[in-house]
Amino acid sequence: MTTTLPAPRSEAPLPVAPPEAPASDRGARLAQATVRWIAALGGAFLIFSALLISKNANPLTVYTDAWNSTFARQQSIEDIVIKMAPFVLAALAVVVPARAGMANVGGEGQVIIGAVAACGTAMAVGDALPGVTVMVLMMLAGMVAGALWAGIAGAMRLLLKVNEAVTTLLLNYVALDVLLFLIYQPWRADPTGQPATKELQTAAKLPLLAGTTVNVGIVIAVIAVVLVWIALSFTTWGFSLSVVGGNAEAARRAGLPVAKLLLSALLVGGALAGLAGMVHFAGVEYKLRPGFGAQIGYTAFLASWLARHKPIPVLLACFVFAALTVAGDSLQLDAGLPAATVNILTGLILIAVLGWTTSTRKANS
Amino acid sequence: MSLVVDVLAGGVRGGTSIMYAGLGETVSERSGVINLGTEGAMLVGALAGYAVTAETGSPWIGALGGAAAGALLASIHALLVVVRKANQFASGLTLLFLALGVTSFYGSDYVGKSINPFTKWDVPGLSDIPWIGEIFFQNDPLIYVSYVAVPLIWFVLFRTRMGLLVRTAGERSDSLTVNGYSVERIRSAAVIAGGALSGLGGAHLSIAYANAWFENMVVGRGFIAVALVIFASWSPLRVMGGAYLFGSALALAPALQARGYGVNQFALDVIPFVLTLLVLAVLGKRTLAAAPDELKRVFENAPAKT
Repeated sequence: MTTTLPAPRSEAPLPVAPPEAPASDRGARLAQATVRWIAALGGAFLIFSALLISKNANPLTVYTDAWNSTFARQQSIEDIVIKMAPFVLAALAVVVPARAGMANVGGEGQVIIGAVAACGTAMAVGDALPGVTVMVLMMLAGMVAGALWAGIAGAMRLLLKVNEAVTTLLLNYVALDVLLFLIYQPWRADPTGQPATKELQTAAKLPLLAGTTVNVGIVIAVIAVVLVWIALSFTTWGFSLSVVGGNAEAARRAGLPVAKLLLSALLVGGALAGLAGMVHFAGVEYKLRPGFGAQIGYTAFLASWLARHKPIPVLLACFVFAALTVAGDSLQLDAGLPAATVNILTGLILIAVLGWTTSTRKANS
Repeated sequence: MSLVVDVLAGGVRGGTSIMYAGLGETVSERSGVINLGTEGAMLVGALAGYAVTAETGSPWIGALGGAAAGALLASIHALLVVVRKANQFASGLTLLFLALGVTSFYGSDYVGKSINPFTKWDVPGLSDIPWIGEIFFQNDPLIYVSYVAVPLIWFVLFRTRMGLLVRTAGERSDSLTVNGYSVERIRSAAVIAGGALSGLGGAHLSIAYANAWFENMVVGRGFIAVALVIFASWSPLRVMGGAYLFGSALALAPALQARGYGVNQFALDVIPFVLTLLVLAVLGKRTLAAAPDELKRVFENAPAKT
């Protein structure tokens, strides 16, 4: 019944015999994988088309309309980039703990708490400080808050052996209630109007890239990707995390400070998610309202998973999710379908990728 | 005193949908599969329940429709994680997105449509008992069904051969393989049965509690159910108690507000989650020791054994 001892058998799973043929076979396997991907994604689009037909919408028109209004217009491409930034940061918040073998399902809450801290900071300093200073303070506050929020889960894992997947999930709802509590009463700008905080002072809004509507959030996100990539691939810390993720018991016997490493991975993850919240707040929404940041955390979890928890591919995965979100908005405008309809396509694509793009070799048996 | 009765009665009425979903999640997790798609199963259950009731005029057929829709969604989870060995968290969240999309796509026709919902029915005799009657026996039929479902599910899980197979799949799946059982089949069945219960929970929401369908109407109850199962340490009987506790916490704010107290609802809404975290903190190891072994492997990201 003890949870601490790893099952002896699981310690060294017998390596699965690799497919017999060596290098010459690589091309064939690559081709096979490509076919699988195309078949899986094609299947997803086929099913979605069938659903569209069932609602008397012509799938071809819907696809071309969605494609055109998503990729053919400057503004929608900018929208994709804007939406991408918080996704990327929140996905990195999954990537880092995943390297150490942990599942951070708490991005949702860490994003919200980061935004709450950023908003609180902006309200506290008011117009007394120059905009850039406020921005830096908001970033720090968001990151610290996100890290502490994830740190609760980290502490519970290390001190009490309560699994982080469970606690981060629960903390999402605590964060959501904290947000709602604040905007329905203490921070509410207009007691008779919509529940929301007052708008962020203009000077503290994230600046836009020259000539566009894109805020600097994407720059922050790309820098974070590069930093995380370097940290995970080229530093002792990153290497140690992978060792812990590979086999915690072996890492412990090799003298690695496993507890500290696990905690650091969660703290860094939480800080990144908190930063995502700050970017979404100071770059997109400017005020907290019910539904703020909804599903950024869950989308990011799936994006990180899709990218096999690797920092650089995360950019691509997040681009896809951001494009799907923007396409959803254009579905609503062009085809008169509810914006959430695009979630069907997202779901089908993910099902296809989850189920049919890898062979079941992972099964180990 | 009427405040206490109000809150507890509200806890039973509001907690029942969470309880059905929690029971479903218990069955699924007992077999070693966590389903974060419970929220999605409740959503499709809520819409299917509402739509079927609207089309047939019978809430009973609607409830069955809700259960069937939940089972259908869960069967995708079973296919992905049991057969294709996909990551359980990722698959569950995927189904949430799918359900959000499907229900808003097909649900728009049913927004504002009126139905013939379940109506309150007082149990003769029992409903006259002071307090108890008001809390437990002046409710809709699906709530009475849950009074039977809880002990029944407990009995099936812990006193029948079928339940033993499900629990063995969750604790020590290789001993099933050794004895010639198909772990995949048992787990799939448990996941799908769990989805049916979650779908029924969703249907309770739309055709007995709110008597309406609107987009994303489940708002987190499915995730509360996942938390509830941990809180209840995988026991159906404790799921029942926990669901009423969670439901009461949600009913407390409106009851206080109705009496003129200016309370912030969200300060009270957070109670169930903080309570669950505290229970985990205090009883941490003991609570999780009750978790099925194969489920712990999922939490610990260990490779699946079978």
